[in-house]
Amino acid sequence: MSYKCSRCKRDVELDEYGGVRCPYCGHRVLLKERGGDVKEVDVK
Amino acid sequence: MADEFDVEYIRGDDREARILVRGLTPAFANGLRRAMIADVPTLSIDTLRVVENSSVMFDEMIGLRLGLVPLTTPDDFEYGDTVTLSLDVEGPDTAYSGDLESSDPDVNPADEDVPIIQLNENPSGENQRIELEAEAVLDDGKSHAKQSGGVAVGYRHLRKVSVVGDRGEFDEEETNILRGVIETEDGELVPTDEFDHDLTERYPGKELEVEDVPGAFVFHVETDGSMTVEELVLRGIDSIESRADELQEKVAV
Repeated sequence: MSYKCSRCKRDVELDEYGGVRCPYCGHRVLLKERGGDVKEVDVK
Repeated sequence: MADEFDVEYIRGDDREARILVRGLTPAFANGLRRAMIADVPTLSIDTLRVVENSSVMFDEMIGLRLGLVPLTTPDDFEYGDTVTLSLDVEGPDTAYSGDLESSDPDVNPADEDVPIIQLNENPSGENQRIELEAEAVLDDGKSHAKQSGGVAVGYRHLRKVSVVGDRGEFDEEETNILRGVIETEDGELVPTDEFDHDLTERYPGKELEVEDVPGAFVFHVETDGSMTVEELVLRGIDSIESRADELQEKVAV
């Protein structure tokens, strides 16, 4: 699961040990990246 | 029994028109109205494949807006036929219906300036972007209102207005509101919006008699742009004919 740090804008990969924290700047607010799959939406 | 119809275009263009039809019964007029609204199929976006959407709207919300964009519909399509359209816009910009690119040159948005989503510039990051592929399917208004080509279809009786005398000198003149189209004593057809729908403006100081002309109906037809008014009426009539033929085959067996 990839995230982006909201402060330094670098891509962050989280693991279960590091906690929710940017390894580059230490900021704790991360934005979840949209998945790479093409999403199919039913329009009704 | 052969009905004799008399059709006259009173006013209008390709998107909106008033049509006078004489020789109709109320049942047939209503059937034609319902056919134009619910039985004439049009193309509308039904499925999206979203590659990228970094805008502020959810994919489903953008899909809802795209589904309501009217698409021009040629008459050689059949139920279930699909057309693929694509949209790729990057901010700072606004994605309009005109930005949709179609795989079929005859199928395009009826209006090019319908805004879909505003895409902003991110000063400290990537600009908002939307990239998707949409599939438009031919279906009719019974399944979803977005597929209805007739957005405002109605009819009124043609009214004949006759002058029967002069109003009393000291009588107060009250407004006499009438909407639709009137037929004067000379046989002239006049839309009521030409005199603000008030008969006292056209016939000041006169005593009037207003009556419905039997069998004469004024249709007000407005399309969403997927086809012209004439095409909508003709396809509505075709749909009634095909359903009647099908019923006849079943009854005859």
